[in-house]
Amino acid sequence: MEHELQSLDREARQQLAGITEISQLEDFRIRFLGRKGQFSTILRQLGTVSDTDRPRLGQMANSIKKEIEELFESRQEAIRQAAATAAEPASLPDLSLPGRVQAAGRLHPVTQIMQEICTIFENLGFSVAEGPDVELDYYNFEALNIPPHHPARDMHDTFYVSDSILLRTHTSPMQARIMENSQPPLRVIAPGKVYRCDSDITHTPMFHQVEGFLVDRNVSFADLKGVLTVFTQKMFERDLPLRFRPSFFPFTEPSAEVDIACVICGGTGCRVCKKSGWLEILGSGMIDPEVFRMVGYDPEVFSGFAFGLGVERIAMLKYGIDDIRLYYENDQRFLSQF
Amino acid sequence: MKFTLDWLNQYVDIDGFTAEQLAGHLTMLGLEVDAVAPLHQELAALKTATIVSAQPHPDADKLTLCQVAVGDETLQIVCGAPNARAGLNTVIALPGTTLPGDFKIKKSKVRGVESCGMLCSERELALSDSHTGIMELPEGTDHGQSFISAMGLDDTMIEVDLTPNRPDCASVIGIAREIAGKLQRPLRLPVQDARVDCASRKFSVDVESPELCPRYAARLIEGIRIGPSPMWLRNRLTAIGLRPINNVVDITNFVMMEYGQPLHAFDFDNLKGGRIIVRQPKAGEKTFTTLDGIERQLSPDMLLICDGEKPVALAGIMGGMNSEVTDDTTTVLLESACFNPVSIRKTARKLKLATDASYRFERGVDPDGVCNAMDRAVQLFCEIAGGTAENCGHDVYMGKLPLKSLTLRISRASSLIGVDLDADRITALLESIGIRCKQKDADTLWVNPPSFRVDIEREADLVEEIARLYGYDNIPVTLPQVSLSYPEQDQGRLKRSAIARSLTGIGFSEAINYSFTSDTYLDLLQLAEKDSRRRFVRLLNPLSEEQGIMRTSLLPGLLENVDRNIRFQMTAVRLFEIGKVFISTGDASQPAEITRLAGVLAGNRYGYSPPLHFREEDVDILDAKGAVEHILGQMRLNLAASPVCLEFQIPAPAESEPFAAVGETMQIRHQETVVGTLGRIRPEVLRGFGIKHNVCFFDLDFDALCNLAAAPKSFTALPVYPSVKRDMAFVVPAAVAAGEMVGTIRTSRDPLIEDVCVFDVYQGKNIKSGFKSVAISVTFRSATKTLTEKNVEKSNRKIVDLLAEQFGASLRDA
Repeated sequence: MEHELQSLDREARQQLAGITEISQLEDFRIRFLGRKGQFSTILRQLGTVSDTDRPRLGQMANSIKKEIEELFESRQEAIRQAAATAAEPASLPDLSLPGRVQAAGRLHPVTQIMQEICTIFENLGFSVAEGPDVELDYYNFEALNIPPHHPARDMHDTFYVSDSILLRTHTSPMQARIMENSQPPLRVIAPGKVYRCDSDITHTPMFHQVEGFLVDRNVSFADLKGVLTVFTQKMFERDLPLRFRPSFFPFTEPSAEVDIACVICGGTGCRVCKKSGWLEILGSGMIDPEVFRMVGYDPEVFSGFAFGLGVERIAMLKYGIDDIRLYYENDQRFLSQF
Repeated sequence: MKFTLDWLNQYVDIDGFTAEQLAGHLTMLGLEVDAVAPLHQELAALKTATIVSAQPHPDADKLTLCQVAVGDETLQIVCGAPNARAGLNTVIALPGTTLPGDFKIKKSKVRGVESCGMLCSERELALSDSHTGIMELPEGTDHGQSFISAMGLDDTMIEVDLTPNRPDCASVIGIAREIAGKLQRPLRLPVQDARVDCASRKFSVDVESPELCPRYAARLIEGIRIGPSPMWLRNRLTAIGLRPINNVVDITNFVMMEYGQPLHAFDFDNLKGGRIIVRQPKAGEKTFTTLDGIERQLSPDMLLICDGEKPVALAGIMGGMNSEVTDDTTTVLLESACFNPVSIRKTARKLKLATDASYRFERGVDPDGVCNAMDRAVQLFCEIAGGTAENCGHDVYMGKLPLKSLTLRISRASSLIGVDLDADRITALLESIGIRCKQKDADTLWVNPPSFRVDIEREADLVEEIARLYGYDNIPVTLPQVSLSYPEQDQGRLKRSAIARSLTGIGFSEAINYSFTSDTYLDLLQLAEKDSRRRFVRLLNPLSEEQGIMRTSLLPGLLENVDRNIRFQMTAVRLFEIGKVFISTGDASQPAEITRLAGVLAGNRYGYSPPLHFREEDVDILDAKGAVEHILGQMRLNLAASPVCLEFQIPAPAESEPFAAVGETMQIRHQETVVGTLGRIRPEVLRGFGIKHNVCFFDLDFDALCNLAAAPKSFTALPVYPSVKRDMAFVVPAAVAAGEMVGTIRTSRDPLIEDVCVFDVYQGKNIKSGFKSVAISVTFRSATKTLTEKNVEKSNRKIVDLLAEQFGASLRDA
């Protein structure tokens, strides 16, 4: 039996070494390794050998069979590889063809930027809230320290629905709406659509803003600079020079507009930055005590800052879009670029 | 607000600073510079010249042959101007120069005589309309110089975008004050501390509405000779875009720009009774003709300047035709006044008449500066318009306010700004721009803002000034010290964002359309009169009729997008939008804002997937249904076992969307509530949008979907025993809905049935007409054992019987 096994081992090895065609492989498998193959036949004879020899011979038979199986598999793989290499190229897949996948769509660039903005502020611990597009004059203006007949209303070309109802001209009404219903400390951003009756290459009558504000004890202008510096660095993914420039909003004091070094020319001056080297990206300021009074906060106890940024503008700067009207034509050739 | 560097230099020495440096300072002071523009660059090539000799042209009566000195050269020029004479200093355009209007100067022959350039008139240089002769430059002007620098025209204009809180800077002196503070150089004022010392007997002033007119001052100037202003004055005005009119009007405009105080000059001979009365319109006074010749409708709340009989000016906005200065005017009554900002603003808005004067009065003019500007103008009337003025005048100052006095806490300013400041530093900063400070105690200052700073009324306003003057750049960058709290997120927004992302995964791109649209679309969609989508909100002041109402459906916008994409040769359109629609709840309240989710599909089913792998075929309604199934699946609203399982139903014709093709529309329902629809849009509706292709749509009430309870995620043990699958083809009458056959099998309550699906529907060869073959695959499985052929056969038989009974189905022969 032992002898038989050894000669079978030899024979199998010899045969295997001589195989060069895929068709011969199957013959070999049936002859040696199949259910009715020679190894099975020998293993079935194990029942006839003495009890003392059986464990040893069994072990030997199995280990030889296993070795042959392994040899067979590696031989098989080698022959297949050889066949693939030798084969005519035409019988192989043409790998220059496109992969098989159903085309996906894209989110609107405004949505993408809006989500990026929200994510940055969420990571800073800001919550996100939304409010109505058709807003009361009270929240859009009066609660923000812009009484009727205030010249600051000229800064907002407002669409009216009635004397007291309008399309919000900014997302700032959310400051008043949220503060009215909650107590500091507050860290909130409010993204949404806003409307101005103005339309040309740089203005569309509808656009998107993200309002943000933080109210607590001892909040300073230096803190405002800190939070907005973090934001711009994350948004533009680099350490862009920033400039805080005095400005005026009736609901903040002091007010600041924030410019970044022109992302197109790097600050040397170009058409996009009107040769100034700077691009305005957001308005901000310390919340005016009058706004606090209107919602019942004591400005002696709390202070805070607010900011508002234009989403389309940031998308234009980040992606180099040069015509704001493209945003609302929903041309798939445009949408598919982002 | 525009000014020039040369003009600014009149009030503060800016020597040593470039235009860019000054612009930088202004911007960082909060006076944002919009433009820095060198002036008269188109005239840069012109030279000064002196006519050495002038003789008549040998062959032309009206031409003069001039020898002209230009630096080292002497050139021969043929000139047609009557004033060309020896000794005259003038301006020459040499060959190669291009004059305004793209007029190129060349060496030429005029009537046989060579001419090496052209001597120019003011009109030819676009400096004025004057064309009576060539320009006459002052005696002593050297020839061969750059013309614009010799004439002081090489100036630079700076435009500042003023914020509404800084009317004091709507004047060159106001800008100069800021620069003087920044550069720490003195401010030079032409006139200050002026007042009216005695009352004129030649006219009178009565202010009947002192609350609308806190101060009214006037003086009389006699012997005026109306004429063009001198060059320097015209240059000042044209540099900032104002058109010179005559010396009197130009002086009032110049002083308004200089001091920020609007002035008005009346022709005194047209003022009846020598009187000025400031009052509101009387009952009969309905209209008034302003000096632009337009008849204006008056209302009782407006303010008028009147003479003894009639209105002569709309206070603070524009003078009247009846008292305007003309070429024959000899006596001028000069008004310098201060009006109530809100009243001026209301009137200007009501009349849609915004002027340089109303701009300033609306924002607030310095009541204490009224006489300074008046005296400055009187000075100029006497200097350049030949006038003489009595010392007296009138100054009715009933609205004088006490000196403003504010307290400022140093600690408060420091903590709000985030910088440690002390009394000395704050005082130095504020006093640099004329805000006086006095220490009250260790932490408090008394502060007196000057009257021209109408915007400073509170401590917070002073903090802003301090921060601004300290320099925002110098304030440190810190992060707030706040206590930790969990930032709650808006659930609706999170769901929107998740669904939007998942729709991109099945080939849809996101569209964003305007919230306003045209009401004609409601008709195009053939919506019924009582359809809630006709309860729209109309804008009072739309940009156009196409954007006249707030949208009540997302579909019109998306259909416009389909049209655009097809026009630009897209062969597949797949767009969705998640956005608000606005349904009116009556004029007195805000509309209901409902977030909807709509999509459109047109053209190739597989979009821009490789055509090699995905054959090109047109979308149909089942693509729209598939998209909705995907959405419901993502939102976990279509699982059979869950509390809320939305269903697709075929609506009764009366309930169908009017714009959907008959028999090709479905509703998505939650019990009796319709939460959305889908279907194919009728071709005649699409024609209204210019679309000739097939378009399918879905339109869901996203808010309603968000409010339904999503099936919770919970684990079901994986099956242990193998399943058995049986495929069967049934022949049924063509009208039978395959989906109902599946539903019937599903609800047959055989516990062994795990899954049922249709895998083929066929009509045609081998199937008799009026019938179709529906191939159904059923998966059987037991939770407790491996199924035998017998178990399966029993269940299978039940299915065959059930379908035969309910649908007349018979097994198709293999």
